[in-house]
Order: sequence, then C-alpha cells, then structure tokens
Amino acid sequence: MECDDAQLLAAYRDGDAEALGRLVEKYKRPLFAFLSRFAANPGEADEWFQETWVRAIENMNFFRQRHLIGWLFRIAHNLAVDAVRRRKPDCSLDAPQPASGEPLAERIPAAMLAPDAEVAGRDLGQHIAAAAARLPAEQREVFWLRMDAGLPFKDIARIQRCSVNTALGRMQYALAKLRAELAPAYRELQGNAP
Amino acid sequence: MNPHELERLLLLEQSGELAPAQRRALDAELAASADACRLRDQLRAWTAAIPPPAAGPAPDAAARIVERLRPPRSAAWIFRPVWKPALAAAAAMALFLGVRAFRPAPVAAPIETAAVATAAAVEEWTDPLDAEFTELENLLLAISTDDSLNVTEL
Repeated sequence: MECDDAQLLAAYRDGDAEALGRLVEKYKRPLFAFLSRFAANPGEADEWFQETWVRAIENMNFFRQRHLIGWLFRIAHNLAVDAVRRRKPDCSLDAPQPASGEPLAERIPAAMLAPDAEVAGRDLGQHIAAAAARLPAEQREVFWLRMDAGLPFKDIARIQRCSVNTALGRMQYALAKLRAELAPAYRELQGNAP
Repeated sequence: MNPHELERLLLLEQSGELAPAQRRALDAELAASADACRLRDQLRAWTAAIPPPAAGPAPDAAARIVERLRPPRSAAWIFRPVWKPALAAAAAMALFLGVRAFRPAPVAAPIETAAVATAAAVEEWTDPLDAEFTELENLLLAISTDDSLNVTEL
C-alpha cells in the first residue's frame, strides 16, 4: 500500500529516517529530470536535488505537506532561477562579434547538438531537448515542468506564481519556437517514417 | 476554432485539465478537422519522444539528505508558520488592551460641561429668590422692630 506523503512526513517527524528516504525515491525521477535541464552538469543537478529536499523539509508546514510535489518544484524553480541569473552571459548571442562580424549564435551548431548526437541524429527527442535548452528561462521551465515532470498547468502556474492562462501562453510560445526550429528535422523524420 | 485556441485545448487535454464544455468543443473540432488531428498527433509524438535525462541523482542522495537534516526536529516545527500569526495576533490584542487601560477617562469633558451648565442654571434660578428672600427678611425685620404693630392683637 502506497503511503500518503503526509503520513511519510509524519513518520519522519517521529524519527523514522527511512520514511524520508521513501519520499525522496518517490519524487526522484521528475525532480531530478527538471533540475538537470537547468544545471550545468549532473553533479550540479545532484547538488540542487539534495538542496531542494533539505530546504523543503526545513521549511515545511501543515499546508505545504499536503501538496509536497508542488512545494518541491517551487524550491527547485528558485534554485534554477538563481542559477540562470548567476550565469547570465555578459555578451549577446545576437550582437556581431568583433573578429568575424557575425553573431555568436551563427557559430553555435544547429540546436546545440553534440557532434556524435548529430551523427547518430534523427532522434526527435534529442532535437527537442537541445532546442528547448535555447528557450527563454520561463518558457523552458513551463515546457519541462509539463513534458518532463508531467505537472498540470494549475501546478505550473502556482510554481511560477502566475495565472494558468499565462502558463499556457508560455507553453504555446515555447512550442511555436520549437516548431520553427525543428521544422526541417521534423519533416525529415516524417519523411523517413515507414 | 482558431489554431491557437485548438492548441490550448489540446494542451489542457494532455494535462487532464479540460472542463466538460472544452471537452465537447475539442471533440467536435477533432471530428471535423484533419488539421486538428495532425496537431494532436504532433503534440503526442513530441511528448513521447523526449528522452529522460541520462543520469539520475547519486545512489546515496537520500542518505545524504537525511544526514544533512539529522536529527528530525520536534513535532512543533511542522506547524511553525501556523502559530506565528496567532502569536502576533495575541501580542497585538495585548498591546491594544494595554493602550486602552492607560487612556484618560473619556467622561472628564462632559462633567466640566455639566458643571458649567448647572452653575448657569443655579445663577439664573437663585437670582429672583434672593430678591424675594431679601424683601421678606426686611419685612420681618420691620415687623419685629415696629412697636405699633402687635401681632398678638392682630
């Protein structure tokens, strides 16, 4: 029988460390997947994963424990936003480079695929993941919260502190950009389909 | 239905958040339009195609989290933000009552007003009496000093 989150938290509160371990295991996949979309490497994602849980438990209250997954992703969102701000580039991808005169974006391989992935290519999922990495932070976040973590728009809106309509709008902007960027690869995949 | 609205409904359908009326509108659109079906297939294909991240958290992540949080705090921590507002409200009430207790009595001004009003009334009331009492006193004095008037004879 699957234990309710509140029951597991209560068990942990009563000194049962295993209960917290079960909770961590329960939400491991969606939470880590979301964090890894924003982290620079798996090590950083792992660090954020632990930090998310520590902050969540330390700041837990009666109301938040009833919607634990939303609370976890709210903290993960804060960590991701802070990291994106810290990493803000000091040059624009669209500004012409002094040496060549061409924008930096032109020198980035299409959809930022690694050479081996490009060769192995033809994988729509990899194309989508790579193209999504270039979306603005808010749209990228909605996209991954929906596609990866599987959260409903109601919860995404709560995490981003916006209306459901705004969250939906961000998703639609993200899809429009991805569709434009992935159109050639998508057409090719459809053409190769048996 | 325009494509923007159609995509919105398809997204809500995927997330299981369609209202009954939206469900009916979407079903009607899907039955009538091949483009709507293509858009739905595309969204489904994208969702299915996205690969999970290659790596997961460290195998000992849960143990390290538990270690960082050890020891579990007492039961009070879980309700902490609930009692804080109650404590603040109680403190505010105590402050309010304290201020009320030390306020000057609000009846001082009416008493002064009443005193002035009474004094004026007394002055107005006693003036004619004083004159009559004085007249009566003078009359009695005159009677008592006049030998020609014998009260017993009267």
